[in-house]
Amino acid sequence: MKKRLYLELENCIGCRSCLAACTQCGGHEERNRNYVYDVNPLVNRQTMPLMCLHCVNPACARSCPAQAIQIHETGAVLSALVEKCIGCQNCTIACPYGIPKFDTEQNLMYKCDLCIDRTKDGIPPMCASVCPSNTLQWLTDEEIEAKQKQFNLDNGKWVTSLPYLESETNVRVNLPGILQGVTKLF
Amino acid sequence: MQRDKFFKEVDNLHHPNETLVRTHCSYCGMQCGMNLRVNTKTNKIIGVEPRYDWPVTVGKMCPKGVTAYQQTNHDDRLLKPLIRDDKSLKGTKLGFREASWEEAYEHIVKNFQKLQKDYGKDSLSVFSGVSMTNEKCYLTGKFARVALGTRYIDYNGRFCMSSAAGGFLRSFGVDRGSTLPWTDIHETDCLFIAGSNTAECHPTSMFRIWNVQERGGYLIVADPRETPIARRADVHLDLRPGTDLALANGILNLLIENGFADEEFVQNHTNGFEETKELVKQFTPEYTSEITGVAPEKIIRAAELYGKAPNAVVMFARGIEQQHKGVDNVSAYTNMALVTGKIGRAKSGVATFTGQGNGQGGREHGQKSDLLPGYRKITNPDHVKEVCQFWGITPEEMPKPGVSAYEMFELMDQKVIRGLYLLCSNPAVSAPNLNFVRNAMKNLDFMVCSDFYLSESAEFADVILPTVTWSEDEGTVTNLEGRIIKINKAQEPLGESKPDWQIQVELAERLGKGKYFSHLKTARDVADEFRGATKGGYADYSGATWEKIEKQDGVFWPCKSEEHKGTPHMFLDKKFYHPDGKAKICALPYRPPAEEPCEQYPLRLTTGRVVYHYLSGNQTRRIQFLRDMCPEPYVEVHPETAKKYNIEHEERVRLFTRRGEATYKVKITEAIRSDTVFVPYHFGHEESINLLTNPALDPMSRMPEFKACAAQIEKQSVKKV
Repeated sequence: MKKRLYLELENCIGCRSCLAACTQCGGHEERNRNYVYDVNPLVNRQTMPLMCLHCVNPACARSCPAQAIQIHETGAVLSALVEKCIGCQNCTIACPYGIPKFDTEQNLMYKCDLCIDRTKDGIPPMCASVCPSNTLQWLTDEEIEAKQKQFNLDNGKWVTSLPYLESETNVRVNLPGILQGVTKLF
Repeated sequence: MQRDKFFKEVDNLHHPNETLVRTHCSYCGMQCGMNLRVNTKTNKIIGVEPRYDWPVTVGKMCPKGVTAYQQTNHDDRLLKPLIRDDKSLKGTKLGFREASWEEAYEHIVKNFQKLQKDYGKDSLSVFSGVSMTNEKCYLTGKFARVALGTRYIDYNGRFCMSSAAGGFLRSFGVDRGSTLPWTDIHETDCLFIAGSNTAECHPTSMFRIWNVQERGGYLIVADPRETPIARRADVHLDLRPGTDLALANGILNLLIENGFADEEFVQNHTNGFEETKELVKQFTPEYTSEITGVAPEKIIRAAELYGKAPNAVVMFARGIEQQHKGVDNVSAYTNMALVTGKIGRAKSGVATFTGQGNGQGGREHGQKSDLLPGYRKITNPDHVKEVCQFWGITPEEMPKPGVSAYEMFELMDQKVIRGLYLLCSNPAVSAPNLNFVRNAMKNLDFMVCSDFYLSESAEFADVILPTVTWSEDEGTVTNLEGRIIKINKAQEPLGESKPDWQIQVELAERLGKGKYFSHLKTARDVADEFRGATKGGYADYSGATWEKIEKQDGVFWPCKSEEHKGTPHMFLDKKFYHPDGKAKICALPYRPPAEEPCEQYPLRLTTGRVVYHYLSGNQTRRIQFLRDMCPEPYVEVHPETAKKYNIEHEERVRLFTRRGEATYKVKITEAIRSDTVFVPYHFGHEESINLLTNPALDPMSRMPEFKACAAQIEKQSVKKV
């Protein structure tokens, strides 16, 4: 049963546990590969994660002159292959979300690979495993659809990622927010 | 096995040459389940893997939990006993030399015996903590009373949970931190959370709390700051620090006035309603607003939501408890549940967010100045008799009650206490009024500190004993639900470090008290004796065997026999623990904070945690990821206040109170009241905000008022170019 990373941005509490957990994934060389932003730090405590959305037709891979960015059969857009990456940084410019990071010492791009050594066997990625607020979840398409229905946003406001920026993505994002459309109990 | 909707059947990633050791986090009362990854060739802990099958937290961890394993083999670990001969170096890291355990023990015994000979038994003291297992907490109490024979033992729970304990004892007659299991929380209809920065201090509660709103339920948060949880609350009661009692009385008044009182419940199961009703009458929304600074509409709305909710849970934490009326605050918020009858059933109740890993269990078993194992009282002759019989001493040999944590430092200052054995705590950062406390420690004749790192408090010691981290020993811990769980050993002790129970047994033997301790050869031996010692007490653990804990994912106390499954929900039979079986609704007149703002000190200073650090920071400040995220303290200031003082974001300012001063970087934020400033307390030496805090104690719990005092900001002179 295929599962996807699913984001409920409104849940984020800014704990950055996802970043700490990212460093713990076996293939990640203890470097975290995503971002959590303070949305308006002088005003309030709102934060949001910025994760690789694993585009179906990713700009990073399209822009790579060395075919160093492979797409796994699960749809995960992998980190640059060490032996192929030429360090040109095209990908860091091409990605509309600013995801790929660059290691100047190794002359190597690195990015989220959706914990491929876990997710290839159906084990959730580290970030979604630990996320204390359920901002990051690991769900089946049915579960994501059920959420969409539950909130009954019949107003065109439910947006996953279509049709923005890079077209279809493997990761789903709940915008504008989980609480819009909730019917109060009393 | 309880499995709720958050549970998912997931395998763990299992690398070759690794074993996974099922255990729990070393830090807060959530005690999140985790697997420690152990390399089978080196037998060393090398990482963490989520524990998806732990029912409370289903694999989730905060950044402290994710990196907790990095404590065990950290470069800063103390690997050998250290002795310092030059007393003039006290208060610094200098002058320590490595020693053998035998030499360290000999040095300690010689000095302890000399002090007791010259100044009496009570010249020694024990200051302990509750980030350790029940077994260790239990044995520390026995060590103080039986091996040292001193009355002066107390612990850092006085800076943490003692007000909650006092309030629950008064309201219910029993102190279990939560009347319901955490797996109920997401199913309630309204959460009323006061003085808890839950998203930072107990992050893995958040997925359940958010789910209440996702289901259409309500979230009410009372906090002077718009914390991450307050930001999304349906009602944020943004009160002045130290005014909780007025807010709780005001809400209770509205609940009664608007007919939300459960008359049947109040009549049959409580005392004190009429008197309380009369007292809270004066707390109209307008009067309450005057004291608290919260708009009357918000108070009215909060009372309406809590009142209307079919099920509701009142929760609170240090924000309301670390006040000189902390016990009253706890009882006042608990009144809301008792008056409306929203207690003693599933999905409704009252809970405190326990701060330390074993804040619950650690306070029940006799390392508090007035308590003995099983929540027995040292002032109750029958209780003393029971424990003496169990320990094999006479009631005459049992020391009298001592004094609370902060008061021990006062006795050190007065030279009544001359020696200190400190373990599992770092009061040189976490105690209030630190100039006084540090001086008291410096002037001790002799001090022993047991820790796995050289803490700020260890800098005052004559001998430092290297103890183990949580991952190198086993035992039980009682989490914030009142659920007894099992910590498992993942690695042999690093270097020459030893678990504290073993240190105490070996010291007791050298103090000539071996007959009371020598039979304790393993952690399991201590556990078996500990369970026996609790039998018949309020907090009866006698049926909570390690096997049962494993089989049913923990055991909720009370658990009085091997057949008994434990008690996840308290008071289901509507029987409370006072002699008449009724709970007490308390009439509590309002008192302002001990120190109110004045012309000289016009601001209100409050303190608390950040998500990246735990308690005094002795552990978390050494972890790279956590230090990178929050390397230093800061002072949160509202932009209006900043403007008044002509200070800017990231500018360094002098913050001072009647007791002390410190310099902090300014963090400007609209998420705080303009009459209030906030500083996190996890930092040592000249960065400690506790240099400034007020040691005014609650008359019952002896909790200092960390959460409200009067302060002033001063702009630093213009930088030299």
